[in-house]
Amino acid sequence: MGIADLGCSSGPNTLMVLSKIINTIHATCYEMGTPLPELRVSLNDLPGNDFNDIFMSLPGFYDMLGKEKGIGAEGCFISGVAGSFYGRLFPRKSLHFVHSSSSLHWLSQEVLRHQFPSSGHKGRNTSEQRKDIHIKDKPIFSSESISLSISERYFLISEIAGGGDGGGWADGAVVHGRSSPEGSAEMGSHQWELLAQALMSMALEGLVQEERIDSFNAPYYAPSAEEVRNVIEEEGSTIINHLESFEIGWDEGFSIDNSACVRHDCDELEKLSRGQRVAKSYKAVIESMVESHFGKGIMDELFFRYGELIDDYFNKTRAKHINLVISVTKI
Amino acid sequence: MDIEKVFHMKGGLGDTSYSKNSSLQKRAADKVKHITIETMEEMFLATRPKSLGIADLGCSSGPNTLSNIKQLVDAVENASRSIAQPPPEFRVYLNDLPTNDFNTIFQALPDLYRELKKGKNHGGPPIYIAGYPGTFYGRLFPDDCLHFIYSSNSLHWLSRVPPGVSNINKKSIYISERSPAQVSQAYLKQFQEDFSLFLKSRSQELVGGGRMVLILLGRSGPSHVDRGNSFFWEILYQSLATLGEIEEEKLDSYDVHFYAPSKEELEDEVRKEGSFKVEKVEMFEMEKDAGNYPSYGMAVAKTVRSIQESMIAHHFGEAILDKVFDIYGRLVDQELAKDDIKSITTLLVLTKLL
Repeated sequence: MGIADLGCSSGPNTLMVLSKIINTIHATCYEMGTPLPELRVSLNDLPGNDFNDIFMSLPGFYDMLGKEKGIGAEGCFISGVAGSFYGRLFPRKSLHFVHSSSSLHWLSQEVLRHQFPSSGHKGRNTSEQRKDIHIKDKPIFSSESISLSISERYFLISEIAGGGDGGGWADGAVVHGRSSPEGSAEMGSHQWELLAQALMSMALEGLVQEERIDSFNAPYYAPSAEEVRNVIEEEGSTIINHLESFEIGWDEGFSIDNSACVRHDCDELEKLSRGQRVAKSYKAVIESMVESHFGKGIMDELFFRYGELIDDYFNKTRAKHINLVISVTKI
Repeated sequence: MDIEKVFHMKGGLGDTSYSKNSSLQKRAADKVKHITIETMEEMFLATRPKSLGIADLGCSSGPNTLSNIKQLVDAVENASRSIAQPPPEFRVYLNDLPTNDFNTIFQALPDLYRELKKGKNHGGPPIYIAGYPGTFYGRLFPDDCLHFIYSSNSLHWLSRVPPGVSNINKKSIYISERSPAQVSQAYLKQFQEDFSLFLKSRSQELVGGGRMVLILLGRSGPSHVDRGNSFFWEILYQSLATLGEIEEEKLDSYDVHFYAPSKEELEDEVRKEGSFKVEKVEMFEMEKDAGNYPSYGMAVAKTVRSIQESMIAHHFGEAILDKVFDIYGRLVDQELAKDDIKSITTLLVLTKLL
């Protein structure tokens, strides 16, 4: 059985997800009274991902599989595949199950450069000097260009899907989404709005050049459920089993007990405000791309201000992300 | 001490990394490149798979890893052209211990893919490369998924220091003239266990007619105590002893998990395991070329440092590394001025019987 996790990243979540998938297969086989198939697992992420970190945890993971599930050395083979999932990653007909969590809202840079030349895109309300650093408002960009970017993205994903075994091929994905088709900025990608504000506040003090903000476009898109459905139906090789959205608080699940931190770090974490903790978690994800555009020097100050803006936002409203859960089967 | 958790070539791209100090290994592999390529072509023409599985066991991290892949892919493309057939899809399995620096290999992949696609129709055949961490003393891959296995400068590393050796092999870190007789017996036994498990595991992973090309350090005669590969370990022992900073007990208990088998010892295990035919066994010596280094001694010192650093640092700490290898480089040059040191490399080509 070929299993792939696209955008596996590193850290404790990677093997936790895999563990859940294997547990489910194991339990199902037990119920059906069939032997466990040989599991061929591919963990995929971009070449810059920290695969070494995952790999060093593998001996312990295999031990656990052996002790807790009786899965021996010949029962499960785990590999790392480095590359963009916007394109082929795996041999033909090699996959039965693909999982992807918190990855598909990241666009490929090529799409972005094609759609949005570096003259940048300023906020509609130029009198307010707002800057947009991500795609959110359809009226600014033609609806065709957005759907093209989504459909290209999903079409490319489906090419991978096309390599799977005929029938019974399933795909589960969790992505950031938007609540309404009209692109309301509030619930969906407001975190980018706040980052733009943090950058602008630094520009006003001469710490960041405005042109740098103008030319920064986050390669991120939070689709609505409708947009996702349309692309899947148009591409045509899969049917939708399940398409649902759910809300999750910006700092849901963030208790110190839940954090995978060691004593010293836990103490540090406890001193931070809610907003600062959220800013810290976003920093872990987006720092590399923000840094490459704005330089290393301003990162700490930027994310500090970002944390303050998030705290401010928490005081005004219940800050929520929309997550979409999509499950499809290859016809 | 679990080798799997400690042992690795020095990662990254820095001055003491394996990436920057593996030119001696590359020269050894290059010397027999024509045999590697021939074997690959023969295998392809005999099996003609639509999807070809190639594994590199002990791939490490550095330019040699990816240049090997390119050579093997080119060889198959040439072979398929010669029979006017489209090339197969390539599945490349890069294996090394979990502590290996895979990140550096992965970061170099986009450039490799670009190079592989250059100037080819429709970007050339599909090539899927994956990293498989784990010990090759045991199963790594699904049944019957490979057609060609390559392993260069890896199989002389044992799965562990033979049990009991650290207690009795004082005043040496490998088999030397001061080692009690049981030491070389223990090393041989460990090699036999490891290599037979290697062969057994690969036998299930290789299809019938599949080939293995194995390159590893060896020794020419029955005796270990010669001016061959074991002598380089003797010089390392002398370098550690000369330092004067190390506790005697610490030095006495350090031994390397290495073995340089003879031709007979290799062939014996292949015969015993029974699923492979020996196509070729050749032993050769590399020319002592300093290359880009100031002397051959320095070249060996930097090479050995990048491969031994993890083990020495784990046992003795990092502080002594610069000094030890400084002494080591000078001792090698001094010894060479007295008399030759012959480092023997063995090439073994095997075919999986149908």
